[in-house]
Amino acid sequence: MTALLAVADHLPPGRVPIEELAGEFGLTSMQVKIFRRYHKLGEVARDPGGSLLDLLRGAVAGLDALRGREQHVRYVLHARTFPTVVPYPHNPVRELCREFGLDRATVFAVGHHACASGLLAIDVAGRLLAADDDPDGLALVLAGEKAFTPEAGMVPDTSFFGEGASACLVAPAGDRDRVLSYAADLRGEFDSDAEEQALEFQRIYSDALAEAILAAVGRAGLTMDAIGVILPHNVNNVAWHQVCRTLGYPRERVVLDNVATAGHVFCADNLVNYRTARERGLLRPGEPYVMAAAGAGRGATFSAMVLQH
Amino acid sequence: MTERDTALPAIDPALRERMVEGICALLPHVLKREVTGATADTTLMEALGMSSTSGLELILELEERLDLEISVEELGRDDFGTVGTLADYVAGNLLPEA
Repeated sequence: MTALLAVADHLPPGRVPIEELAGEFGLTSMQVKIFRRYHKLGEVARDPGGSLLDLLRGAVAGLDALRGREQHVRYVLHARTFPTVVPYPHNPVRELCREFGLDRATVFAVGHHACASGLLAIDVAGRLLAADDDPDGLALVLAGEKAFTPEAGMVPDTSFFGEGASACLVAPAGDRDRVLSYAADLRGEFDSDAEEQALEFQRIYSDALAEAILAAVGRAGLTMDAIGVILPHNVNNVAWHQVCRTLGYPRERVVLDNVATAGHVFCADNLVNYRTARERGLLRPGEPYVMAAAGAGRGATFSAMVLQH
Repeated sequence: MTERDTALPAIDPALRERMVEGICALLPHVLKREVTGATADTTLMEALGMSSTSGLELILELEERLDLEISVEELGRDDFGTVGTLADYVAGNLLPEA
């Protein structure tokens, strides 16, 4: 059963209050007020002058378990919200592999689930490793992007992206943070710019995300009562409060701490929040927990993964 | 807990009516078009095509216009059902003046 051997993240120290971003995105003071007061967004992580390689390097540097195992890493996956994360012809993931001695790995990006691609990448890594039948084989799953275009700066009416990264060493089996199940609901009907579809997406968002969580929890043979904590994507607090109402799940057990202080760190949110949950002592040995995310871009994806700490 | 107490405190009908009037008066401003004949039963999303952001904007505008402060902690999707359900929420979640 797929397991997370080690998890690390990197948030650069720079922070920008959302009010300072209003001009850049053409937001009215009312829109910014709504973001701060209702969505509980406050400031976003930024690394001015830093590159995507700097962000990814910061996360991988925290993976102590990687040292001495470099030759076992068969795959390096970069989970992306956006298909293009750097200007051509830069390739920061390959540069990173060179720096860390991961020269035997097959390197590729995983996308198309937008902000839910991080969970997809863990699932893909687990399936590749299982198929290889090499008990020592490992995969390195990376996430994190630069907010380097207007599109990569904010999600209209929903969230602001923050810069940061996560790195996770996936093993085909292990005792800690085992993946019990994964569910992804792909909704191609939202591949549209029509106003009605945007409204419909808003309308179904929380229910669809709640359903993905219930599907993953059901596949793990569990009920929500067994779930100790949810590690969300950091889109905003309002969306998650609605998911909690739908699930009848206490909002206090959704780790929303980083929404106000870092923003929506692309596909890295779940693992950034993993670190916060560990720091707060919210992950208990043997207790299942959920990572969940929704992504919208060309179509929409609602995903959840149940793990056991 | 996440669920609101189902036994909501009784809402002053006059206060609720004032909120319904306030919300209806703000609809053209928030939706940026003419809106006629809106009542407590008018659905915000289906009939008026209001997005969740315009709904939130409406609450902030209402605070300014009526000089109120509204707690938004428990505000959920169901409260944006109709003009009346939103008025119920606002009337039941006014914060005492500082």
